[in-house]
Amino acid sequence: QNMLEELLIHKPDDPIQYMINHLKQNNDDAPRICVLGPPASGKTTVAMWLCKHLDAIRISQETLLFKEILALTREAKMYKERKQKIPNALWANLIQERLSNVDCIKQGWILEGFPENQEQAWMLQSSGIIPRHVVVLYAPDTVLIERNSGKRLDPFTEEVYHTTFDWPSDPLIQQRLVKPEDLSEQEMSKKLLEYHRNFPGVFQIYQKVLKSISADQPSMDVLSQVLTYVQTRHRSAAPFTPRILFCGPPGSGKSLQAALIAQKYSVVNICCGQLLKEAVADKTKLGELIKPYIDNGYPVPDNLVMKILAERLNALDCMTNGWVLYGFPRDIEQGEQLQKSHIIPN
Amino acid sequence: MAAGEQEARDYLQRHRLPELLHRLGALLLYHRPERPREFLIRMLERVKAGKRAEGEYPYLMDEANLAAMFGLLDVVGQGHITPAQYREALKTLGLSTEDLQLGDDVNITLDVFKEEVKKKMLESWAVY
Repeated sequence: QNMLEELLIHKPDDPIQYMINHLKQNNDDAPRICVLGPPASGKTTVAMWLCKHLDAIRISQETLLFKEILALTREAKMYKERKQKIPNALWANLIQERLSNVDCIKQGWILEGFPENQEQAWMLQSSGIIPRHVVVLYAPDTVLIERNSGKRLDPFTEEVYHTTFDWPSDPLIQQRLVKPEDLSEQEMSKKLLEYHRNFPGVFQIYQKVLKSISADQPSMDVLSQVLTYVQTRHRSAAPFTPRILFCGPPGSGKSLQAALIAQKYSVVNICCGQLLKEAVADKTKLGELIKPYIDNGYPVPDNLVMKILAERLNALDCMTNGWVLYGFPRDIEQGEQLQKSHIIPN
Repeated sequence: MAAGEQEARDYLQRHRLPELLHRLGALLLYHRPERPREFLIRMLERVKAGKRAEGEYPYLMDEANLAAMFGLLDVVGQGHITPAQYREALKTLGLSTEDLQLGDDVNITLDVFKEEVKKKMLESWAVY
């Protein structure tokens, strides 16, 4: 799937050689992440943490302007010196250049704070840069404005700290911290307004790969949620029949969860007790055999249960859609019988 | 259809990529290698080499398979099959039957069958 996507984006003249190179690169698992959110939501902290964990390259507007030496950096700096807003096309080209470096291709990339608006997002897409995961941090405006006033930067490592929530324990770092330049409340509200104006457009474009995470929680929680999301693969088109077995003590919620799962993933919900009662009600041959047990309240013998269960689980709808089973097996012998009749949950 | 989408579809059509991916999938399912990535790289290298007439294309059916197929069609053991059967066989193999100018009374022997099928398979891989 990835290979076909790349082929369609770049349309090389010699597709066979391109495919060989792509397969040799083996970078299907390299992270391609965008971290977006309003100012003071913690994007830099999240991006740096992900960077350390996933060993990918972090790219933000500051790193492109100040750390990297790319052909277009000078032009971008000139705009900044004239206090003009850097045009979207220039940003898109800068990012494209940086992402085509070998280290980004091999290790993956984390794009922080970009795209800011719909136009930038379209430009990224048309140059073939498509993130696989987009993380959006959100928090109420009041929380953000308050948080912003406590922001402190470490000029050496570029890490972002906070006077109340994230104060470094090392006294050396404490002495180094400075207040970032554009910190006034007015500036902050202006930036927030712009963010809220531009954001819905971007949200719409990346809807399928996007996950919103609340930034108004302790930082470790935010970070762990982001990491979990980023490491999940999206559902592929490969055929897959889930065969789910629910085990648990009585009262643990098996039937509820099984019903919810059956609804969400369109699998067949099978409760063992229910199945037996249905067999009796339908007056099938096996139903007649187990009727006396059920009427007198005795447990039905294992081999009869197995026969009914095997018949149900091998029916066409279970084979094609998958199934979720609960209420069986209840002990070792039943489990072994299940294995012997080749009904193996995955 | 948008211009971009049309361009992409034309590109796929021009290089016959859907058929190539289909064949690669068939090869993977048939051989089921432990390391699919290396297997795919090897197959693609072979296609490239075949184009330069340096090696063999990765065929799924070899001579023994063709002989067996002929045997299935020629149930009685006469040693030849009718053109109608021949056309059906070509269709099953996924090869084109357009340029066949055989009359309905010509009988196809095993050797002719093998030759023709091999030629057609070569042609169908050569487009890559």
